Amino acid sequence: MLANLTNVTKRYVRTEGIRDLTLQFPAGEVVGVLGLNGSGKSTMLKILAGLLMPSEGVAAVFDGPPRRNRARVVYLGETDALWTWMTPADAEKFMAGLYEDFDVARFRELLGSLEVPLRKTKAMSKGERGRLRLAMALARSARLYLLDEPLAGIDLLSREKILTSIVKEWHTDETILLSTHEVAEAEALFDRVIFLHKGRLALDARAEQLRSEGRSVVDAFREVLS
Amino acid sequence: MTDEKHWELDMSAGPIFVQIGKNVRQMLARGDLQQGEKLPSARDLAAALGVNPNTVVHAYGELERTDVIETRRGRGTFIRVDAPVAEMRKELLRDAATGFATEVRRLGVDRGEALALLEEVWDAGQPD
Repeated sequence: MLANLTNVTKRYVRTEGIRDLTLQFPAGEVVGVLGLNGSGKSTMLKILAGLLMPSEGVAAVFDGPPRRNRARVVYLGETDALWTWMTPADAEKFMAGLYEDFDVARFRELLGSLEVPLRKTKAMSKGERGRLRLAMALARSARLYLLDEPLAGIDLLSREKILTSIVKEWHTDETILLSTHEVAEAEALFDRVIFLHKGRLALDARAEQLRSEGRSVVDAFREVLS
Repeated sequence: MTDEKHWELDMSAGPIFVQIGKNVRQMLARGDLQQGEKLPSARDLAAALGVNPNTVVHAYGELERTDVIETRRGRGTFIRVDAPVAEMRKELLRDAATGFATEVRRLGVDRGEALALLEEVWDAGQPD
């Protein structure tokens, strides 16, 4: 297993983030982490990224504590936090200095295929910044990618480019966890879908299995919410 | 090839790997794909269709098992030169006829009327 959650609960001061989640993530899957806002998707990914500690239960990445494996996991957070003065060239230097697994040639290729303009981020649209952030994430060579809402608030064309790049860059020994509430657009990408509802696991299924039972992932998502 | 070829995928119409297989058979039956023609790699087709590469690998596996395509080592995936195109045409035709007959029966139309209607539509030209 690349990653495991065993009875993981995360409580915040006023709300519960996730509750008693037990999940296993083997190598070679593209997993959709699906749910409404506030369902616990981000909390789960942050725990696997080693950015949050569980209140209860055990999280493991490569059989160790996530905090100790941060350099070996790619995490793309929700927040659009890029320095405004930064250009893609600056981002390249920054990432290459920070991560040993950052592949400069791959980054430049991704900038091309994602059509990221080579100007400062403050002069970019939200979609362009989202594409730049994805290029920074996908240019690393890790076994585990945690992509939190890479499609949120981004225009349709950028979303398509992002999904295509994810398909192209994924290798069969890598696992991607991608959270989104754009279920319809992303569903064809997933091997497996995990639905979180109010912090709990509502469904863990193979996407093709759902379809062979006559349901799209979107249909299953609606059933979980109803 | 994905630029000219028309792929139809519907997330509510069963497993995607089955649909990709069906698309290939249909294109062959209609002559949009030729025997011996090269198919895109699983990864390229996955990217073009926006689907999971595992799904395309699964679809190609099924097509290979049923003698529609073959993998030539180091060269890629091809439609077999002896792919059973005539059978696929027959199959497609039978599906269309079955669909027509089923719908017509559901509407309570008898055989004579249905055949007359078919001829009328036929003579009116090819709908597209």
